[in-house]
Amino acid sequence: MQIISVENVSYSYDKQNMAIKNVSFSVQRGEYVSIIGHNGSGKSTIARLLNALIKPDEGEVTVDGLSSLDKKNLFEIRKRVGVVFQNPDNQLVASIVEDDVAFGPENLGVPREEIGERIEFALSAVGMTEFRKSSPVRLSGGQKQRIAIAGVLALKPDVLVLDESTAMLDPRGRKEVLDVVEKLNKEQGVTVISITHYMEETVRADRVLVMDGGELILQGCPQEIFAKKDVLTAIGLEIPPAMRIAEKLVARGVPLPSGILTEERLGEELCKL
Amino acid sequence: MQIVAQNLTYIYSEKSKGLAVRAIDGVTVTINEGDFFGIIGHTGSGKSTFVQHLNGLIKVGKDKGGLTVGEYDLSDKKCDFKGLRAKVGMVFQYPEHQLFAETVFDDVAFGLKNYGKDLSEEQISSAVRSALEIVGLDYDSVKEKSPFELSGGQKRRVAIAGVIVTKPEVLVLDEPVAGLDPRGKTEFIDLLHRLHKTFVKTIIIVSHDMNLVCENCNRIGVFSEGKLVKEGSPKEIFSSLDQIKELKLSLPVTAFLTEVLKEKGVNADNDFTEDGFVDAVVSAYMERKRGDK
Amino acid sequence: MKDVSFGQYYPATSFAHKMDARIKILIIIAYIVAVFLVQPFHFLGFLACLVFVIVSTIVAKVPFMRVLKSIKGILFFIVLSAVLQIFFNANGKVLLSWSFITITDQGLLNAGFLIARITLVVLGASLLTLTTSPVEIADGLESLMTPLKWIKFPVHEFALIMSIALRFIPTLLDETDRIIKAQKARGADFESGNIFKRIRALIPVLIPLLIGSFRRADELADAMDARCYAGSKKRTKYKKQTLTFRDVIGVLFIAGLIVGIVFLNKFYLFLVI
Repeated sequence: MQIISVENVSYSYDKQNMAIKNVSFSVQRGEYVSIIGHNGSGKSTIARLLNALIKPDEGEVTVDGLSSLDKKNLFEIRKRVGVVFQNPDNQLVASIVEDDVAFGPENLGVPREEIGERIEFALSAVGMTEFRKSSPVRLSGGQKQRIAIAGVLALKPDVLVLDESTAMLDPRGRKEVLDVVEKLNKEQGVTVISITHYMEETVRADRVLVMDGGELILQGCPQEIFAKKDVLTAIGLEIPPAMRIAEKLVARGVPLPSGILTEERLGEELCKL
Repeated sequence: MQIVAQNLTYIYSEKSKGLAVRAIDGVTVTINEGDFFGIIGHTGSGKSTFVQHLNGLIKVGKDKGGLTVGEYDLSDKKCDFKGLRAKVGMVFQYPEHQLFAETVFDDVAFGLKNYGKDLSEEQISSAVRSALEIVGLDYDSVKEKSPFELSGGQKRRVAIAGVIVTKPEVLVLDEPVAGLDPRGKTEFIDLLHRLHKTFVKTIIIVSHDMNLVCENCNRIGVFSEGKLVKEGSPKEIFSSLDQIKELKLSLPVTAFLTEVLKEKGVNADNDFTEDGFVDAVVSAYMERKRGDK
Repeated sequence: MKDVSFGQYYPATSFAHKMDARIKILIIIAYIVAVFLVQPFHFLGFLACLVFVIVSTIVAKVPFMRVLKSIKGILFFIVLSAVLQIFFNANGKVLLSWSFITITDQGLLNAGFLIARITLVVLGASLLTLTTSPVEIADGLESLMTPLKWIKFPVHEFALIMSIALRFIPTLLDETDRIIKAQKARGADFESGNIFKRIRALIPVLIPLLIGSFRRADELADAMDARCYAGSKKRTKYKKQTLTFRDVIGVLFIAGLIVGIVFLNKFYLFLVI
């Protein structure tokens, strides 16, 4: 079942340079979609379009059948599509974890008792229950980002959009966040749209969309996308290191199958030789 | 300039009991002129505290060990820190966040004017020109621009130009590729190698990116809980992985794969660069094929 | 810099810490009124206030030194007012006269009175900030200001601004520290030269800090919008302040002090004689 549809959408911040040019795609409920592109490719504009922070200049974005062009759908859309942004420090509003998680439900006018339940649910979903009364200042980047995810989950969204949410984290923090997101997708059925420039992260996705110069230039499953190495390198993206090594080996006459994306898989294949 | 740290220790909030934290604890290391030295370890392991000692941003405390950089003795209160800082450049995480001047020219010239009060206009403009050119910006087209109207990648270059304008012999970089996309990262590493071939003799880079460190550094130091727990060439660091695994650090792809092969009984000794690894695997494969025949 | 505790909150779980912030604010206001009710030369009245402070400190389980430390900040002000009183109060019996300076008994008594008053006020107020975190004070003030909604005062917005400011103080302190270090590394000198030179030297710190704050504000605004923020309309509040027996005891205690002082004011002479 389709939850998001983006149809022929164009958008410009300054009415001169197009940030997004005639982009169309749709996302199914429960899907894990990655959007990759280098800085300035328009991928972050997509995040803002999806939860109606901006409205398309042309075309239409609909979430669960609600068009973002209609002003009265604004909050219904934002309730369904939660966004976690890049900088963990700049999206937490309160000095105590539970107060921050409460912020969204408070805005919706959720009754007090239910807010308490939502905080409990959201914090346990990201594994941060023990930090309920802590101050976010003292947490690590990965933990702060998990609190930000909890703050969004407390709105009970159908779709979780990660707008480069791991870009400022160390490897440990990145793994924490990605594991939580993958769990939410698998266990709670939350639809995930992960916007990133780390190619490794897209390996987890069901489907990858590639953006360049405001246009959607490729889409498909990770294997299909990475097979088009020339296109990716031409637009300044990099194939994962394991894949690059596999290619170098093949070029030197070591027989390896194609479509190796992860180092684990490459390891297995090397052992079979 | 050779950098020698002897039993270097630093304690945060030493005076308030209970809050005191040993940020670095008895670090002894020699970094030679010409090294491309990588520092790895988890957040909070003391990496940043250590490198901030190298240009005197954090002073060596009394009885907290010794530190010399070239002829500068940093544990000496009378050390000429200003002279030292002109020779040891430091690039922080997100260096573009330190830009402040009205024009790119003024921002890049800031350090120069701080260090050399008696430089002529021509000397300043020629130094700014060469700094901007090294980082890959066109002097004439950017010098009058406001640094804030540039793109993210250009801002970072301007910030780097502002550090290298004094031609430091040692360049210290703390997580310099954070937030860059793959193309930006590749270009940045190329810039570092370019600098390393000119006036910058020693590069010290703090990074979480194991592949980057493995591929580019000739020596690596591993920090954990304030201590330098391991130090040596990439080959020495990643030949035995027990300690790295114990510290829960991620492995460079090459080290991971070498380990996998080793467990299978295949010896593919290499220097843990990508090409080195490929060579080792190819020759191991060829040998086996010959053996099969 | 990360562990800078702004304000002077002393974390503990004492009787006083557990009291409702609103009641504590009201008690301290009443206490300040009480100190000002004490008439000149009624030193028994001051003694009563001092007993109040000492008892409160014990109940709050705060070290006495921490409370006394609060005077340090305004010591100069206290000394200055006392000196002015001593040297320039010409009323009363002259004790000493030298060129333009005359010291009178009245002047000395007034100085003593002034010192007692200011010191007692500061000690009491510091007990509030020592036992109540800035966040609780902000919440308490918001709740106490609720009646102002009737005169269209934006109480909710005001409270949100306070809470966001509190949340960002540590973040901005961190950032300041980082920028200072970065500029020092480029040879900036903040320690030498005259006052004008030093102020000028701060420009390379203040401008990046300002620009950084704008960037943060932008991102925070997006994050708040994305979490359905729409002002105070139909918003609920998760945090609920409830009164307990502790608050009743606190109110009785302060009421006792005020009654005592009023009583003293009426019958001081009888008591002393």
